[in-house]
Amino acid sequence: MQNHLLTILILLPVIGAATTVVYSLTPGSRESHYRWIALGFTTLAFLLSLLLIKGGGAFSTFVLEENYSWIGAVGARYHVGVDGISLWLVLLTTLLMPIAVLSSWTAITKRQLTYYALMLLLQSAMIGVFVSLDLLLFYLFFEASLVPMFFLIGIWGGERRIYAAVKFFIYTAVGSLLMLVGIIALYLIHQKATGIGTFDYTVLIETLKTNAGVISPRAEFWLFLAFAFAFCIKVPLWPFHTWLPDAHTEAPTAGSVILAGVLLKMGTYGLLRFNFGLFPNASRQFAPIMITLAVIGIIYGALVAMVQPDVKRLVAYSSVSHMGFVVLGLFSFTEQGMQGALYQMLNHGVSTGALFLFVGMIYERRHTRMISEFGGLARPMPWFSALFVIASLSSIGLPFLNGFVGEFLIMLGSWTSAAVNHTWIVTMLAGTGVIWAAVYMLWMLQRVVFGVKTSEANAKLLDLNAREVALVLPLLALMLFMGVYPAPFLNRSRASVVATQQLLNPNATRTPAVAAVPKPEKAQ
Amino acid sequence: MLLAFQAGTPDINLTLIAPEMIVGIAGVLVMMVDAFAHRNQRWLTGTLSIISLIAAAVSCFWLWNAWPAQRSAFNGMIVLDELRLSFTLIFLVVALLTILISSVWIETEKLPAGEFHSLLLFATTGMMLMASAGDLVIVFLGLEILSIATYVLAGFRRTDVRSNESSLKYFILGSFASAFLLYGIALIYGATATASLPGTTNIAIIATRLNQSLYPPLLLAGAAMLLVGFGFKIATAPFHVWTPDVYEGAPTPVTAFMAAGPKAAGFASFMRVFVFGFPIATAALSAGGYAHKAWVGTLAIMAVLTMTVGNVVAIAQNNVKRMLAYSSIAHAGYALVGFVAAGAATTAEERSAALSAVAFYLLAYAIMNMGAFAVVTLIARRGDQQTTVDDYNGIGFASPVLAFSLSIFLLSLFGMPLTAGFTGKLFVFSAALRQGYIWLVVIGVLNTAVSAYYYLRLIIVMFFRERTGAWEVPRIPSSLAIALLITILGVFYLGLFPGRIISVFQSRPAIAVRMR
Repeated sequence: MQNHLLTILILLPVIGAATTVVYSLTPGSRESHYRWIALGFTTLAFLLSLLLIKGGGAFSTFVLEENYSWIGAVGARYHVGVDGISLWLVLLTTLLMPIAVLSSWTAITKRQLTYYALMLLLQSAMIGVFVSLDLLLFYLFFEASLVPMFFLIGIWGGERRIYAAVKFFIYTAVGSLLMLVGIIALYLIHQKATGIGTFDYTVLIETLKTNAGVISPRAEFWLFLAFAFAFCIKVPLWPFHTWLPDAHTEAPTAGSVILAGVLLKMGTYGLLRFNFGLFPNASRQFAPIMITLAVIGIIYGALVAMVQPDVKRLVAYSSVSHMGFVVLGLFSFTEQGMQGALYQMLNHGVSTGALFLFVGMIYERRHTRMISEFGGLARPMPWFSALFVIASLSSIGLPFLNGFVGEFLIMLGSWTSAAVNHTWIVTMLAGTGVIWAAVYMLWMLQRVVFGVKTSEANAKLLDLNAREVALVLPLLALMLFMGVYPAPFLNRSRASVVATQQLLNPNATRTPAVAAVPKPEKAQ
Repeated sequence: MLLAFQAGTPDINLTLIAPEMIVGIAGVLVMMVDAFAHRNQRWLTGTLSIISLIAAAVSCFWLWNAWPAQRSAFNGMIVLDELRLSFTLIFLVVALLTILISSVWIETEKLPAGEFHSLLLFATTGMMLMASAGDLVIVFLGLEILSIATYVLAGFRRTDVRSNESSLKYFILGSFASAFLLYGIALIYGATATASLPGTTNIAIIATRLNQSLYPPLLLAGAAMLLVGFGFKIATAPFHVWTPDVYEGAPTPVTAFMAAGPKAAGFASFMRVFVFGFPIATAALSAGGYAHKAWVGTLAIMAVLTMTVGNVVAIAQNNVKRMLAYSSIAHAGYALVGFVAAGAATTAEERSAALSAVAFYLLAYAIMNMGAFAVVTLIARRGDQQTTVDDYNGIGFASPVLAFSLSIFLLSLFGMPLTAGFTGKLFVFSAALRQGYIWLVVIGVLNTAVSAYYYLRLIIVMFFRERTGAWEVPRIPSSLAIALLITILGVFYLGLFPGRIISVFQSRPAIAVRMR
């Protein structure tokens, strides 16, 4: 079973979806049972995915690989595997899914069969994206993840759900279609150079590494753009971010959690895996532009988040800011920066996922998300308030919580980066993002949780029930753990990140300061 | 008997036209059965037609495996190659699905089933002849057999004004196109005459005569006429204007047939005439070189126009049949991209890859399009009454089977991975990229993004809106259920495991033998 673990992880949710449909056809089926089936399958997938950590050792190469011919006529293969980078993203996905299912427990009352079936299908697609080592297979999962999310937003979303769903779909589809052209072009370039047509990432990268002249600089430039365009929309990098606030705000809570927690990571993962691995020269060439956009995104996202009257929209814009940090870290091309970026991807999934859950909880109680409607929630809802504050602080990047480790590493990396000149300006500007985060988050907390009671309706709100506490507790525990002891995560991702980094700077020498796993919080 | 062995006498080889003969004879037979059968034996003609189509498919596979050494017959009038067999298969699938989809409609509209089935079989014979033609005369013959049957089919609902209008429009514009085609054939015949030999309409011989032509301008004019004629038949912009009206007015199962079958047939002979008749020339500055360059360039531009017009105009449509008509124009545009690649290919291997990509694309299109129309037929009800987008409002969860099937077909038409539409696009776009048509592929891809808007619109209407008016859930009859099952499985099979089909389509017999 160990050898087919990844395939099992991809197929398990599909089987789960099929099970819900089959169950619905049985005479005694009850609407309230679908969520139990979904919870069972997602939990099982999470438990199975934990085996991944055990199986890999140091993750210096791809492990648990499976490689079969898929479309023989074009040389496409079913090739999956995990390394230190994809490992954590798979785990993030499998962790967030049961939580997302639990969060829908009472929030989703209509069309539960379709809802849970789509959630499970979405999980398959997401896991597939992170483990695919064949470009065509990757594209297939990348696009396939669109459809369930489109339905989730469109059917169970808020008032402007149709607009948001269409915008989400078309934005992402445009980007990824151009990537498809890039994928085919890369295939043909490889075929011309070696006579072998393949979409296999490991084969492509080996060819590109060993003979430098396979891709002309001009072709590399355009191919980088084709891939980066798809991923930048997904991240989303400023100025391609406009779909995000709409999609996040209109999606149901679980949809927002998955969207922020996992779908955005597909973009940064794609940049790290494919753009860096396949087009290192163009990546270096584009680094100043990408870093500039990332820094603009950090500040812009934070400033716009500050003035949002809607809590969910505020969290959505904070995502733009946080994902800017990730891109900044990636394009610093330093080990700390890239490790930090990967870490920040996980942090963002955990923290923003939790924030969306909290927003969902108060929305379920009050059916509004306007900041002005709330105030003084600390008194009627002490549990909610305490936990919400912790999640917010994690999002800000308070030391001892996970956000700090990631952002610190990213800024360390961007300061020492050789990718751009005047790195101190970049780092300082990005650093203000942390300050802005404190401003918008704390201000929001002050108006929602503390402050005076603005509405009578708030006085009678019920505090979190056991299910709600249970679904955020794992995330809060993880925030604390990841903030205090990042070594287990960083150790396993290090070899893969360094390998990618070496593709980027073949001549760079690694500084000894980063040879040891950094534990920056000790420096405080 | 002795005469038959003398040179110049027709070399008759009936095995090579076995599929055509089976379907043609079955058409006559169905007509006879219909005349003599009892009124309540209506199912008989349908069953007979289906059996004949399956028999034709079997003979087709037999030809594929046997792969006779002599691959042309009747003095080059009929040829046997991968292009012909793959397209024949498409036509048979289309005809089979049309019979399955139409059975309910024939019942509810109280139409003569036997007539319908025999006309359909004749049309299929015509299409198959178009694919197997090695000579322009047979192309024309096949086209006319097909067209005349289709004109009648379009007007099959005699009492309906829209159906009449559709039929008449199709007839007038179709005759117009046929005239163009015939004129083109005549000019080519004249232009290929040399000092010692009379002209020819044989496609293979035309290719060898291009540079000996005494009248090169005549050759180009003839080719242009052919281009216009075929352009009409496969509904490429700017010769597409008849399509929406005809598709909208014709009975829905007939529309499904017209969008998938005759279009593919048009492509089959269009590609054969131009890719093999005006092949890439070794000398660019020869008459053949000019002709080749001209038609490939023109088709590339037509592909851009067709994709863009089809997709952009489809956005504005409120009638589902009309929307699918424009979508079918757009899909002809995507297929043209592969056609251009086949024309520009420099090696036989690349050319056969591009041709098989187009064949695969049209097979994928036929299946997903037939599936979509199957649902549309059922929702339209008696007399094709409910065909506007509003009629689909909120039916998603009231008729989940129909709505989810239609969504799968629409997503496949859009080109979503996992479905046939994606692999089809993948193959034609790869073929074009291999010939260096990056700009054409980028335009194709951007068009795909545009198409998302109107395909999604129907999904949105079905699932994201609530039903306001009354909705009576239609009963899904078994024949239609079979058609839906075949098309859904087909969409996913071609989307997930296209390898076998595409290699059979492009391959030499060695691979075909291996698949036994």
